[in-house]
Amino acid sequence: MCRIASRPLPKINMTFFTVIARGLTRRPIRTGLTLLGIAIGIAAVVALVGISRGFNRSWAAGLKARGTDVVVSNMGGSLIPKPFSASVRDRIAHLPHVAATCAIFVDVTSVENAEMMMVSAREWDGFAWKNLKLISGRMPHDSTEPAVVLGRTAADVLKKKVGDPIQIETRELSVVGIVDGNAWVENSSVILSLPLFQEITGNQGKINVIDIRVTPSASAKDVELLCDQINRLVPEGRAVVASENMSNSEASRMVRAMSWSTSLLAVLVGVLGVMNTMLMNVFERTQEICVLLALGWKRSRIVRMILWESALLGSLGGVVGVLIGAIGVKVLGATPAIRGLLEPDLSATLVAMSVALAIAVGVISGLYPAWRSSQLQPSRALRG
Amino acid sequence: MTQHSLISPRTLDSETDSPSECLFEAVGLEKKFEDGRVQALRGVTFSVSEGEFVAITGPSGCGKTTLLQMLGALDRPTAGTLFYRGNSIPDLPDPSIYRAHEIGFIFQAFHLLPTFTALENVQIPMFECGLSISERRDRAISLLKSVGLEHRLNHFPAKLSGGERQRVAIARSLANRPSVLLADEPTGNLDSENTRLILELIDRVHREQNMTLMLVTHDMSIAKGASRTIYMKDGRIVSDRKSTVAED
Repeated sequence: MCRIASRPLPKINMTFFTVIARGLTRRPIRTGLTLLGIAIGIAAVVALVGISRGFNRSWAAGLKARGTDVVVSNMGGSLIPKPFSASVRDRIAHLPHVAATCAIFVDVTSVENAEMMMVSAREWDGFAWKNLKLISGRMPHDSTEPAVVLGRTAADVLKKKVGDPIQIETRELSVVGIVDGNAWVENSSVILSLPLFQEITGNQGKINVIDIRVTPSASAKDVELLCDQINRLVPEGRAVVASENMSNSEASRMVRAMSWSTSLLAVLVGVLGVMNTMLMNVFERTQEICVLLALGWKRSRIVRMILWESALLGSLGGVVGVLIGAIGVKVLGATPAIRGLLEPDLSATLVAMSVALAIAVGVISGLYPAWRSSQLQPSRALRG
Repeated sequence: MTQHSLISPRTLDSETDSPSECLFEAVGLEKKFEDGRVQALRGVTFSVSEGEFVAITGPSGCGKTTLLQMLGALDRPTAGTLFYRGNSIPDLPDPSIYRAHEIGFIFQAFHLLPTFTALENVQIPMFECGLSISERRDRAISLLKSVGLEHRLNHFPAKLSGGERQRVAIARSLANRPSVLLADEPTGNLDSENTRLILELIDRVHREQNMTLMLVTHDMSIAKGASRTIYMKDGRIVSDRKSTVAED
């Protein structure tokens, strides 16, 4: 006769966290959908804010790689600076602490199959060429040679190699070199001489950026004074320290405001979702909460239980949202239409901020349901 | 009155005073609902000594459960006084301490939490009495063994029979070693065999731990097992007598 041996009990200890977790797992589909709602809100924050920050950071990194200390441009309300006369450079070049200037025309335009491509046309022999390291091929011989060099990401996006023809507007040019510009924005650009681009686009005598290098002895105060001086002399543009160029621009501020407002709208939807779920949870568990009160649980413990449940829901939604956001921008960045134009800034700060926001969403959403639960009368435990 | 007077070491050590000590004393207890249109209790006066087994019986709507709610500090009387060991229950600064440490509740519908195992359900009241995780677990296992459910520790309520659920509920009511058990129709949802088993179990707990037991039932045959029966009608006590069967 077979004898069944008694099995030892699994040592699963019950803590207050067990109670909180069970509260969420009792309706797994509803909890899952609510979690997804928060996750989408947080993913929007991660993606939009990450892209906006990434653009600013990449632009600043590009200026740094070119060795630019001060930028003169007119960003206005767009991401591409407005053109102004190339003669502005002559008004600036002689100012104190200006070591070198480089006139540039930067544009974002469709190039062959790439719908949006950064084109950077630089004053021939200007310092903005000096940071480019040849990976293959050569630099253009002179400013009139119908040739371009491609940043390595741009070459990859356009599927071009040295010797290939490339169509810019209506002109067919030749790819003579692939370069590494030591910054994402540089590597994603089609780079050519300024006179050639002015001729192709019909913008003779026009530029939209002046990069300035200051003398090594110039202090931060000197640079600030230089900017003020330029701003008085050049009403067509605005001089700012390179690191603040993009973040100070009206366009960038507009993009940031749009990113945050869109994100916060998505988060608000998340708040309403969690609040609805937690309220439903409290309504459904009225009897259960009353029983807990009858068994001696303090109202403060009930409030903590509901708040912890919603905070846990928020934090899980935050983690999932960060993952969705990070994967989303990677997928978006890999799409042919904008490949090479996006380098989102998914920093630890943004991740931590997003998860913290999700937890805050959870706690805020749980406040009203927690208050409702604390108002329940334990005498209801004896009814039904 | 201090809160600590209701969490006395005496209670937790399961020691009891002499059986004659007055535990509950109600004078002129009244309870009105719905702005006074419904009166559940009308001048109820009685006292209960430590260790008594009191059955509260009467027809539906006579105020039995309302009275139990007052005794368990689940609700407040509209008028009258109600004392527990000389302390006014309606004036307790934190009734949850009284409920957690002095009272064990047994409900007709068991009210086990469906997402917790039998072992976890028994541990639920212990969160308020400062026990460590292992102490909670060990005490819950011991209680479930004492009600004959050592083989059902990790079962969820849905996997237990009605009788087993009520046994878990009884184990849960004893979790914090209370002085008083308040049972509201504890066999109301059980068949006759389980009714017998549960009543035997409750009676055993009452005798072994010399615990005061207040049992609400509308079934006179169940009330016969008590040492004293209070019969209520229309919110009033119409008879209060010792049971000769129980005394024997």
